[in-house]
Order: sequence, then C-alpha cells, then structure tokens
Amino acid sequence: MSAVIKTTTPFTLELALFNALQVLGSDPIRVGADNLKEYHQRGQLIVGDILTNRCDYNGKQHFRCIEGLWVLRHDSDELNARVFTAAKTSRQYNKVGAFLQELEGEYARQYEFHLEQLAVQEKQRLEAERKARVEVTRQSAITQAKAKGYVVQEKHLNGKIQLVCTRSV
Amino acid sequence: MPEQQVILSIDEEGKITAKTHGFKGEACLDAVEELFDQELNIISVKKTDEYFQKNEEVQNRQVYAKRGDQ
Repeated sequence: MSAVIKTTTPFTLELALFNALQVLGSDPIRVGADNLKEYHQRGQLIVGDILTNRCDYNGKQHFRCIEGLWVLRHDSDELNARVFTAAKTSRQYNKVGAFLQELEGEYARQYEFHLEQLAVQEKQRLEAERKARVEVTRQSAITQAKAKGYVVQEKHLNGKIQLVCTRSV
Repeated sequence: MPEQQVILSIDEEGKITAKTHGFKGEACLDAVEELFDQELNIISVKKTDEYFQKNEEVQNRQVYAKRGDQ
C-alpha cells in the first residue's frame, strides 16, 4: 500500500495563525488560566490552546503548539461535525482537509503581513534612534561649549542644527 | 578683545561640520573635539590659506567629521 500525504505549511507563528482564524470566521479563543474551566472537552485542554468554533464528537476543534508547531486537534471521523458559534452564521462546516487548506492560504497572507509590520517597526525604531543620537550630539555640544566659556547661539538651517559658539580670550 | 569661535553644523544624520576662527595652530582641532563626549571619526581637515601664513597668530581650519557610533 502506498500513499501520497500532503501537509500544510507548518503553522509556526501564533499571531499569524490566530489572525488567519479570525479572518476565516473561526472565532478563535485563546485558552488561558482564567477561562480554562469554561470549556468541556474530551481530552484535556491546556493553557495556550486556541479554540475554534468548529465542533465534533470530541468537542471544539483546537490548535495546540507541539514542539513549536501549531497542530489542529480533532476527531478523525468528524462525527457530528458542525460550526458552532454564538452569533448566527451562514458559514458551513467544511472538512478538516479543506479547512486546513483554506487556513494555509490565509496564514501565508498573515505571515507576510507580519513580516511587513516588523519591517515598518524596525524602520521606525532606527529612525527614532537616529533622532535621539542627533539630540544627544546637540545637547553634548551645547553643554560642553558652555562649560568651556562659550556663548552658544542655536539656529536651524535646512534641516541642520547650527551652533555658533563664541568666547573672548 | 580677540574672540574664538566654533561654528558647528549637525545634519539630520548626526554628521558634524565644524569651522573654527581665532585659534592658534592645532588648538582649533582640540577645541572642536572637546565639545563632544565621544571620539569623532574625522574624515577630512581642510586648512584655510591663513593656516599656512607665517607669523600668523590666528589660524583657521575647517573640520569635517561624522559621528562614530554607526
């Protein structure tokens, strides 16, 4: 017997996974110490799991991080499978394989978005550092000049700071 | 009364251009460096014509420097 088995791209980034589940209308909920007892499940939930609104015989299908990879835990027979949500939804239950495939696509988009955000944040951080560095230089020069007996006049010309330091000898 | 003057220009990147007036010899470079807590990476020192004049007490130099913490 032989088989061809395909998997999704490994889900490694929790934020991207969570956002992808939200976009797909899976109403993700993080299981924490505060809400752990609210959910009844065959097999224990643990803190850190991400619940979805997809239900089956075992309860809510959920993701668990196992050795750095987020894995969907579900009833393999998909008995009594349905989408359960407090809000009325027209969303139909689709099989795990199809769901994961759809999720994979959205996860990839969210992952890319996350990388772009990191780039923007890094750019902003570097820019703030640059401004702070210029300010330190300015302050240092003014302080030292005054300590050396200079009178300091400050001007701003074409984005540059000009310090005219004059003293009599 | 003679005056000493240091004109510092700090650009948006933190690069410094300094111009001095009224200093004798190498003192102008020291005068610029003592205005900063950090060492400067000086990339060029342009001496003005006056610097080379004999018996000239007042020498001018332009110092171009950039901050060295990149």
